Amino acid sequence: MQDRPDAAELAQAVREFLETEIVSTLRDPRLRFRMLVAINGIGILERELAAGSAPLRREVASLARLLGLAEAPDDPDARAQARRLNRQLALRIRGGNAPEGTLAAVKAIVADKLRIASPRYLERFR
Amino acid sequence: MLGTEAAIADALRVCLVPLFGTDVGVERLALLAGGASKEAWAADVRAADGRHELLVRRAGGGVIHSHTLSLEDEYRLVSVAYAAGVRVPRPLAYLEDLAGRPAFVAERVAGETIGRRIVQRPELAAARAALPAQLAEELAKIHAIPLDAVAFLGRAAAGDVVDRVERELDAADEPHPAIELGIAWARAHPPKARPAVLDHGDFRVGNFVVGERGLGYVLDWEFGHVGDPLEDVAWPLVRSWRFGADDLRFGGVGRVEPYLDRYNALTGRNVSIEELDYWEVVGNLKWAVGSVTQSRRHLSGQERSVELAVLGRLTAEVEYELLDLLERAG
Repeated sequence: MQDRPDAAELAQAVREFLETEIVSTLRDPRLRFRMLVAINGIGILERELAAGSAPLRREVASLARLLGLAEAPDDPDARAQARRLNRQLALRIRGGNAPEGTLAAVKAIVADKLRIASPRYLERFR
Repeated sequence: MLGTEAAIADALRVCLVPLFGTDVGVERLALLAGGASKEAWAADVRAADGRHELLVRRAGGGVIHSHTLSLEDEYRLVSVAYAAGVRVPRPLAYLEDLAGRPAFVAERVAGETIGRRIVQRPELAAARAALPAQLAEELAKIHAIPLDAVAFLGRAAAGDVVDRVERELDAADEPHPAIELGIAWARAHPPKARPAVLDHGDFRVGNFVVGERGLGYVLDWEFGHVGDPLEDVAWPLVRSWRFGADDLRFGGVGRVEPYLDRYNALTGRNVSIEELDYWEVVGNLKWAVGSVTQSRRHLSGQERSVELAVLGRLTAEVEYELLDLLERAG
């Protein structure tokens, strides 16, 4: 186990440094814009690291339920598992055979992605 | 980078001789913000007849979509639009080889192009009020250009647009159930086919030069094609192009009705809001898969860029809007 700061705390330290000490020194507007994009990217990392494996496990459980799999196959690589289940669902939709409740379930999964990728977008959305 | 700049300045001087005479000189050359697939350079040029402010568009690292126009065809298209009285910066020359890459030269115009500023800045309030009708007028002019003047362009019917989205999604090799739902919905709700017109292909806030009185110029013609007029009419409605002013469905600057009424009055096409609903969904589909594709340009090493990388994660925003539209459509 690594010592503190943990991964999210370390990402936060880097982001705070860029925000408070670097952004104000950038005169080139293109460079400044890309720095703000980079800071946003680090914010995504922070939230993803802080959330841990919970969102991915929720997604796997939701997809398995939707696809009528009695329980999610036990896979130590949850990311690969989520990808496989997403592919199965994508094929079902493309084949005109989407399970009942697909739209609501997929929307909930996308909302979960936004809580990490762009939480303010989700909060403002109406 | 400095080496490139010097090489471009030298090559540009030689290329501009036929336009401005042998004693032409490049006084200043600077890389500007703008198009991700192409470079945009500001060039200040001194010639016998005075000083000229030019914009040089030069090929860049890659393309956004598989159907982007070559710089040569983009130049031809802008020339056709200019001749038809569309507000585009005056095109001056196509250069086959500007320091190793094709480029074209046009007059450089002043004004605001940044979407977030256009929808927010207090001094642009009058511009926002004028834009819906002005943009309808410009789009009506574009859609009236005879197709035999743009015979070099590809064609895309409504179904083709959805097929292309599916092909681009398959090429990215990442499952996206949200995008699949959009594709399925679009195929289940085919729109009334309309006679094809010249489509600008990226007609939205962010690609317009705006001043205090509203529209200055229409930029970024690289997605020009022959297709359904409503593909263009509905594109500025896509939420991503409202730049945070989400309540104003027309590009974050106004309501749809005055825009559509003006467009209908000028074209006689009698487009209904309901028809725009279909094309707004398709617009979100196009941009959802567009942001996936753009992130692949970074991931593949074709064009390493933190902007393109983060865009991959912002696909979820477009997917959420897409699913919300599908939910409301029932």
